Amino acid sequence: MSEEKTFPAIPPAVSTGIACETKKDSFLQRVMDGFAEFCRARSLFILHYCTGCGAIELPPAITSRFDLERLGVSPMVTPRQADILLITGYVSIKTLKRIILTYEQMQGPKYVIGICSCTVNGGMYWNSYATAKQLNEYLPVDMYIAGCMPRPEAVQEGLKQLREKIESGEANSWEDYFKRYDHYLGNQQHLFGDDWHTPTDVIGEARHYDLLGDESLGEHTVRLEKYLQHHQELGLTNVELEPENKELMER
Amino acid sequence: MRPENYKSVEHPPSHEYELNFGPNHPGIEGNYALKVKLEGDVVTEAKADGGYLHRGFEKLMETRLWMQNIALVPRICVPDPVPMEVVYSLGVEELGGLEVPARAQWLRVLHLELSRIAAHLFTFGGHAATTGMYSNMFWGVTDRDYVLDLFEQMSGGRVYHMYNVPGGVRRDLPDGFLARVSELLDYLERRLPQYDDLFFANAVFIDRARGTGTLTQEQALSWGVTGPNLRACGLSFDVRRDDPYLVYDQLEFDIPTETAGDALARTLVRRAELIQSIRILRQVIARLPGIDGPIRCPLPNPLAWNVPMGEAYPRVESSKGELCFYLVSTGGDRPHRVHVRGPSSMHAVQVLERLSIGTRIEDVAQTMFSLDACPPEVDR
Repeated sequence: MSEEKTFPAIPPAVSTGIACETKKDSFLQRVMDGFAEFCRARSLFILHYCTGCGAIELPPAITSRFDLERLGVSPMVTPRQADILLITGYVSIKTLKRIILTYEQMQGPKYVIGICSCTVNGGMYWNSYATAKQLNEYLPVDMYIAGCMPRPEAVQEGLKQLREKIESGEANSWEDYFKRYDHYLGNQQHLFGDDWHTPTDVIGEARHYDLLGDESLGEHTVRLEKYLQHHQELGLTNVELEPENKELMER
Repeated sequence: MRPENYKSVEHPPSHEYELNFGPNHPGIEGNYALKVKLEGDVVTEAKADGGYLHRGFEKLMETRLWMQNIALVPRICVPDPVPMEVVYSLGVEELGGLEVPARAQWLRVLHLELSRIAAHLFTFGGHAATTGMYSNMFWGVTDRDYVLDLFEQMSGGRVYHMYNVPGGVRRDLPDGFLARVSELLDYLERRLPQYDDLFFANAVFIDRARGTGTLTQEQALSWGVTGPNLRACGLSFDVRRDDPYLVYDQLEFDIPTETAGDALARTLVRRAELIQSIRILRQVIARLPGIDGPIRCPLPNPLAWNVPMGEAYPRVESSKGELCFYLVSTGGDRPHRVHVRGPSSMHAVQVLERLSIGTRIEDVAQTMFSLDACPPEVDR
């Protein structure tokens, strides 16, 4: 067990030439960051992905009766441009794979909202063989809106609270995904099998955002290394293999 | 629409490629996917890829009490949950030999027809959105919301009501409810000409929908098509008239049909059905105050209710088509086996796969919405 603790972490990144400056070192920068948060909170795009039955309350919420667009919330069709991933209801295992793929494609800062009781604890399908019960085991969730199903007013209220959280800087669960990637990946592997991997280079991204923490790498991320070569051929990663990793691959 | 001086141009042959249409796609209805092979923008092969919404309903229902299942069944079809409750209740009543009071039967008809209106309005909205007419989507969703308000007054829930239970309905109508239903029907009748202007008689829509996804009557019958999609092929069959349940035999209504069998015909059948539903509801509003009595027959203790051994296969005409449950009881407190025969599993898999071939990629979404398939019910 002791040798498992000393993971030879995935080798250092090749410089991408893009410096990611996260420290707020000047007064002007702090003001600008605050202004960016203010703007970001008022222009949120929800990914148009109806994952479950709660999606039926989104058309009334978005269209003229309740009109979420007043709050600056609008649907968006592609994950790259979306800010919010709404998980509307139960997530079957097949859908959860797509949700994770989609989530990793979204660009930070990104927020996950779990709508309906099923995302909280399995809800009505607590003993179903086909659904994942707790969403926050697999993805960091910013906010839950409970109910079966929550009314459009509840969705509105949830989005308002998310806006407040973004303005106060609390809605940073997306950083948690990078900081504790090993934990999330472990749960995903537990559900989908040890071969589970996504084309996104999460570790490389974590390094880019300067979010690689103590819990980012671990026994679960080691399993990803056998896919590194494949990723490199596809040009999906900026990580170069070093001799010490070849041992890992043989193991 | 093509300009009058349009001339077809010989394009160089484009290579065939495969496209994942869904599940994260704005054109698809719900969480569903099609793997589409394309030659240029013409579909040469489509393969339905479901299972994203599978919850294992039929197995889950075996693990719950007969009364607990009432909470589970409406979740099978999200836009039109009421027929699910009714058909399950009808099955359990048949097995248990329960006699439903007259008032409860009329209340069920009221509930069913309101749900049909809500589901059709939602479908009009969705179908319009796939042809680029977003105003109509806003109208359809908003008018449906007024029906949902009535559901909320009636049962406490907007989308899922759990109003129909074995033996009757859960509660009686609130005061002044029928007047409010009447107001809503007046409003919808005033709205229909506006819908015609915007959508049903719109040249853009008619040109897009005419000839899209054409289904002949023989194909429809052999592929298991039911409901408005079958009536759009010219066959006048409706469970409400041909195998009446509840009090539909005491009501006057027509079965609208069309002959073309394409997306336009299916939509026009739904529009005519909306008018027939309004007609049925007016009759219910006129007769319901004269029918007094209990709304629920006495039931045994629901926690220890051993439904007698037997099989039941009730059927109901939902807004999507013919909906049946096959219920088997072995005399226990839980169902032994439940099979859901939903209309959408036929429409969204075998019919959609075949109808998509030869259409252009932008019409695949329209074909799906014109078939009114409901993905949660396909996957169950």
